[in-house]
Amino acid sequence: MHMETEVLVIGGGLAGLVAGTRAAEAGHRVLLVQKGHGATAYSSGAFDVIGYLPDALEPVANPVEGLSVLAQVYPLHPYSIAGFPVDVESGGESAVVLALVSETVEWLKDRLDKTPAALSGGLDSNLVAMTVLGTTKPTCLLQKSMVSIPEMEGEEDGVLLFAGVRGYADFAPGAAAKVFLRDRMMNKKYPQKIAHCQVRVSPSGTDYNISGVEIARHLDHPGSIDSLAKELAVYIDQFGATDVALPPVLGIQNAISNKEALEERLGVRVFELLGLPPSVPGLRLQNSLEQMYLESGGALLRGHEVVSYTMEGDRLISVQTKGPSREIQISAQAFVLATGKFIGGGLSGDKDGVREIVFDLMSVTGEFVSAEEASPSRSTSKLAVSPLGQPVLSNGVSVDSFLRPVKRNGLEWTTNLFSAGSIIAGYNYATEKSGLGVAATTGYTAALRVTEYLKEVAQNE
Amino acid sequence: MSEEEAYEFVKGTLKKERITPYTEDEIPVINSVSACINCGLCINHCPVVAAVGVDVFSGPRSIAVELSRSPPEYWATADKVYLCTGCGTCREVCPKNVDIPEVVNIVRRRIFEHRPDLVPKGLHAVRETLRTHNLAFEPWADIKEKNESREMRLERLELPLVPDRHVSDAEVLFYPGCQAEERSQEVREAAKIILDHFGVNYTLLEDMTCCGLPARLIGDDATARSLTEKLKRDVLATGVRKVLTTCAGCTGNLSHISERDHWDIPTQHLLEFLVEDVGMERLAESLGKGTKHEDVTVTVHDPCHLTRHASRHIMDYALEILSLIPGVRVSASALHDSCCGGGGMVSYHSSEVANAVVSENLVAIDATGAERLVTPCPLCTAQIESNLFKAGSSVEVDDLIVFIAQMLPKE
Repeated sequence: MHMETEVLVIGGGLAGLVAGTRAAEAGHRVLLVQKGHGATAYSSGAFDVIGYLPDALEPVANPVEGLSVLAQVYPLHPYSIAGFPVDVESGGESAVVLALVSETVEWLKDRLDKTPAALSGGLDSNLVAMTVLGTTKPTCLLQKSMVSIPEMEGEEDGVLLFAGVRGYADFAPGAAAKVFLRDRMMNKKYPQKIAHCQVRVSPSGTDYNISGVEIARHLDHPGSIDSLAKELAVYIDQFGATDVALPPVLGIQNAISNKEALEERLGVRVFELLGLPPSVPGLRLQNSLEQMYLESGGALLRGHEVVSYTMEGDRLISVQTKGPSREIQISAQAFVLATGKFIGGGLSGDKDGVREIVFDLMSVTGEFVSAEEASPSRSTSKLAVSPLGQPVLSNGVSVDSFLRPVKRNGLEWTTNLFSAGSIIAGYNYATEKSGLGVAATTGYTAALRVTEYLKEVAQNE
Repeated sequence: MSEEEAYEFVKGTLKKERITPYTEDEIPVINSVSACINCGLCINHCPVVAAVGVDVFSGPRSIAVELSRSPPEYWATADKVYLCTGCGTCREVCPKNVDIPEVVNIVRRRIFEHRPDLVPKGLHAVRETLRTHNLAFEPWADIKEKNESREMRLERLELPLVPDRHVSDAEVLFYPGCQAEERSQEVREAAKIILDHFGVNYTLLEDMTCCGLPARLIGDDATARSLTEKLKRDVLATGVRKVLTTCAGCTGNLSHISERDHWDIPTQHLLEFLVEDVGMERLAESLGKGTKHEDVTVTVHDPCHLTRHASRHIMDYALEILSLIPGVRVSASALHDSCCGGGGMVSYHSSEVANAVVSENLVAIDATGAERLVTPCPLCTAQIESNLFKAGSSVEVDDLIVFIAQMLPKE
């Protein structure tokens, strides 16, 4: 079995889907191969661009500042590489990188605007996202149903109600309320009047052992939000609540309209908290990105993974994919590698070292030292959760200024393989809070590079 | 006692301890479980969880991690493991390629062997039929009645009767599967019409044998293997170079076992054969000058056994073929690839669960505004048709092969 396309994207997370959509919008015939769901599907609903500079313990004031410094000080950071296609005059780096990230973010916000994962926010300020643990984190954009209210911080009389769902074990409103209150007192911020309650939402008639996805699906059905409103009204009345924090279960399709319906009926502000992976917002994001890609005209081959490839001279000409019981050979003129790291399946690590799965490209650490024979345990911190994070998460492939993976000699591995997302080395998304931002920016840029490449090939022929 | 004797002794005690050693083809499945990171992504996608909740069906992740229990305790999963429809969604979305649907089969196999009392009664009944008739359904007692039923169906669908073809030098074998052989006979007839129209040198088996999928899903490995061995003998004796089916379940299962048992000839769904061997040009020509018919809006259901047990691209073929038929418009359902609930033998013992799974699909089907649903699987067709009918929907249901046969020019 043989297929042919102009651009083949390997990997169906955010980076691959953005690259595929952007390439399809540029008029290319695109096919995207997706094995399963990777790190994007685990996303919490927050869209980080840059929260901390590498190795810094204090957050940046806002992404604009963060990106400006990054472009000046970290030339090998993927944001910087993506921003430097041509010679940039010294001192002009920040403006170029900012313009690129800004263009990407505006583009993505526009494409997701009509989907259940529509995003709110911008580069000029980081939003404070609240989690189901009662903690907060800086993030650039949030799904619209998850935006907690900035006004809340200035209102002395505000009362925040954490509302859990009886039988849903992934959110303990009492514990979250306690953690959040301690944070407010320490930082002398409002609201300092915090309450908590448990409401009943019973998708299958019981109020024990309920999963988030069941509640979300239930609340997608017409009318079911009304009974949740009735349940909440009692507690809002009792505590005089002005804001209500719910776990991220307001719907897979209808979360935004459900939030608005609750606000209108109850006269309070309502938002979803960030949940633990894999959460409903991650599912909303993955679904919405796939919808965006398909609407752009791209073709999607699900359930297949690339198992081998063919080169001709210095060009990649085809890959072989394997599905449940069929193999397909796919030829293309340009390729985008967006397979992710350890969760996405782009990298694997064992005692012998870290390997790039599809093409066996050179893998490097965050310091750009070869990781091919370095056991990942050497870049792993014994402390599971530490502010310095796990250095192993900066592993990946090293790329040239066109985002093409390079060999040991620093030259591109092949002329027509571009890369995007977390397969690229040199940044630690977990500590920097930059995961989806880098994925989107490099995905967007890889598509631009593909277009330039194909134009050049066409001119030479 | 020598080391060897000791080994044999321990092996001898396994039966008493209710342990069945893993077979060679089960080992990779068992090993895949060690990659599970326990993330629970699969739970978000499982159609059974969506329909009945984690309290009734604890979901794919729990099935995968049941393996961390000691094998004699497999029976403890019997209240859950028979509710899996085997749709394969969990395996597809899994970031670590854990083969959960096969874990289900492995666990069911152990329960069947050591605690047959815990196997749902409905499944024992199917097993009796399989062992008596080599078919998943009781065959018609009176062949005349079977033929009458066939003629009635053809008349209703305005399809001609093409005589059965049994030749010794055929290129391909058409294997209709139990559902099309005994129940949905129109699918078997439609496939013959299509093969005949395109001049394909095909043959049928003299003696139909089940592909063994129901027995595998029941956990009765011995019956499954004896059926597939007989089928292998019969198929290879015909000397064909390819097996064609119209059933998604048979396609997935035969693709799997023909590789496992070294048949050395491939199995394809008829859709694959039409696109890859007959070719889009000939299809376009035939379908373009087909019978005059009224414009129709159809919606398509993707059978799990084609998409997630064979390959997703086969449903792209279905859409390509539909796009060749003048006057046919496709309106996609939001849940086009979500399980119809008819798989995994669930409907044989827990029809309420099977029907809950399909109920979400029915809403999505109604929302498409289509007059007709088509799907390339007689089992999905039956499951969706009966549930749409019960729900009072006006949407009609046809097997896609029947629909294509209707669109060919009448000769």
